[in-house]
This record gives sequence, structure tokens and C-alpha cells, in this order.
Amino acid sequence: MSQKISLKDAELKVFTSVFQDGLWDILIGCFLLQFAIGPFLSRSLGDFWSSVVFLPFFAAVFLVIWLVKKHVIAPRVGIVEFGAWRKTRMIRFNLVILLALTVAFVLGILSMVQFDSIPGWIHTARFSLIFLTVFCIAAYSLNFTRLYLYGILVALSPVIGELLYVYLKAPHHGYPITFGISAGLIILTGLVLLVRFLQDHPIPMNQPVTGEMIE
Amino acid sequence: MTEQQTDQDKLHPLADIDQVIHAPARLMVLTYLYVVESADFVFLRHLTGMTWGNLSTHLSKLEEAGYVTIEKGFKGKKPHTMIRLTKQGRDAFRGYKQSMQQVLDDLPD
Repeated sequence: MSQKISLKDAELKVFTSVFQDGLWDILIGCFLLQFAIGPFLSRSLGDFWSSVVFLPFFAAVFLVIWLVKKHVIAPRVGIVEFGAWRKTRMIRFNLVILLALTVAFVLGILSMVQFDSIPGWIHTARFSLIFLTVFCIAAYSLNFTRLYLYGILVALSPVIGELLYVYLKAPHHGYPITFGISAGLIILTGLVLLVRFLQDHPIPMNQPVTGEMIE
Repeated sequence: MTEQQTDQDKLHPLADIDQVIHAPARLMVLTYLYVVESADFVFLRHLTGMTWGNLSTHLSKLEEAGYVTIEKGFKGKKPHTMIRLTKQGRDAFRGYKQSMQQVLDDLPD
């Protein structure tokens, strides 16, 4: 036996196999699209409604991804229910993300209240830091290494957008350009991974799709 | 106690190794089942890279030994097979792990 048997590695292999299909990447990319498209809508709809209008869009994206997962991915790779250790870790992860989002929400409220008294770059820095923190927590907790890269990409988006606004007078603080590029890159990565995944994992032909036992 | 008997005693853990688990393919299947709650046939095949027939044969042996339960059901109109490690299987795997560690740790470098 040339490899050391590690139960931790085995569990990790099982868990990370969930992220190989690129669907998470597409979901994250679609979520980020709101920061690229939202500014165009905020002038006509206002800040609140320009965000609310994305809810049906997110619902549609979730529905499509769920259907793809159920009808396209599951027949190829099967279904697994994770053990207690992973479930506990996921609960902890959800709590940490909830805490990070609460902090982000509070900072957002503070920014609105003190908008004029705080320099613009502080708002941008907060925005970037929140993105980076949430993505890094998610990457670490889920052992999903691409999220570190996405975190950096997304954290740079407001900073570069602000620079484009200051030096090139880019509209809407440059967000449509920078977040559009970031979201596009992430969605494209997801699509490439999905296509490769489908090519590498054809539906098994010599046995029923759902894994019926040979007796 | 003779020298031969002492050698036999030293090698005794090897004789205790569970032969059902010791086969590489079954060890791989049990390792994956040990770290999850349950998995279906397709998932195990995807992870282990075994053929349908091969995996099915090994699972049957594990089921005979009482180490796994195989639940056949339906998802919609399609048949679906879930495999789960039993308590006996979990204990046996733990015991196997300890026995192997003991045997390997006692070997000289």
C-alpha cells in the first residue's frame, strides 16, 4: 500500500466532492451580479427595491441549481449523508457566517447613519473587509480553497471600482464594471467546471442510473 | 514458555485481523462508510472507482458479515440503494484499526 490511510482525508475527499461540479461557483457568481446590476436600478427603484427585486432572481437561480443537482449531478455521483462530525462543523460554520453577516449589517447601518462624516474610502474598506472575511471563513470551514481566491477577487472589486470612479469617473463607483467582471469570472469558472464534470462523469450505462444492486 | 510459543504470542494480533475487512476493496468501502452517515451505491462506486459487479460483490460480503445494511427503496419511480455501516461494522472497523496499529507499531523499522 503506497498511501497512508487517513480517515480525515477520506472524509475530506467525500465532502469536497460536493464542490467539484461548479454549481456553488455559479451560485456565488449570480449572487454577486446584484452588486453589478443593482446600481443601475437604484436610481429608478431606490436602494431598498433595487435589492428586493433580486429576490425572485435568486429564487430562480436556487431552483435551477437544485434541479440540476437532483436530476443531472446526483445520477452521476450518487447521494451521501454526512456524519455527525461534519454536521456539527456545518452548524458552527452557519453560526459564524450569521455572526459575520450581523456585523456587516451593523456596519452597514452605521455607514448610512454617519455617511457624510466618514471618508468614502472607509466605506469601501469596510465593504472589502466584510467580503474577504466571509469568503475566508467559508473557504476554511468548507475546505473549499477556490473561495479564498474569490474572496480576494470580490474584496478588490469595491477598491478598484472606487479607483475607477476617482480617476476615470466610472459611473456608480465603478461597481458595475468590477463586480460584473468578478461575477462573470466566477460564473465562467463554475460553467467550465460543470462542463468538465459532466464530461468526466457520464451517467453509468451498464447499471441503472440510481444505483440498483446487481444480485 | 518456549521461544516458539513466544513468537506465536507476538504474532497473535496478526491472526486476529478481521479478514472480511482486510481485503483492500472492502477496506476502502468501509473507510468511506465509516466517515459518513450513509451513501448510495452510485456514490460509493464514484468514490472507489470499482465496477458495479465488484462493488456489489464486496457489499454483499460486508452485509453477510453484518457490517453494513443495504436498504433498497425507490426515489420516485426509480430504484435506489442506500448503504449504511451498522454498529457491529463500526466496532469491527475500529477494532481492525487498533489491531493493525498494534501490529505495525510493534514491527522494527
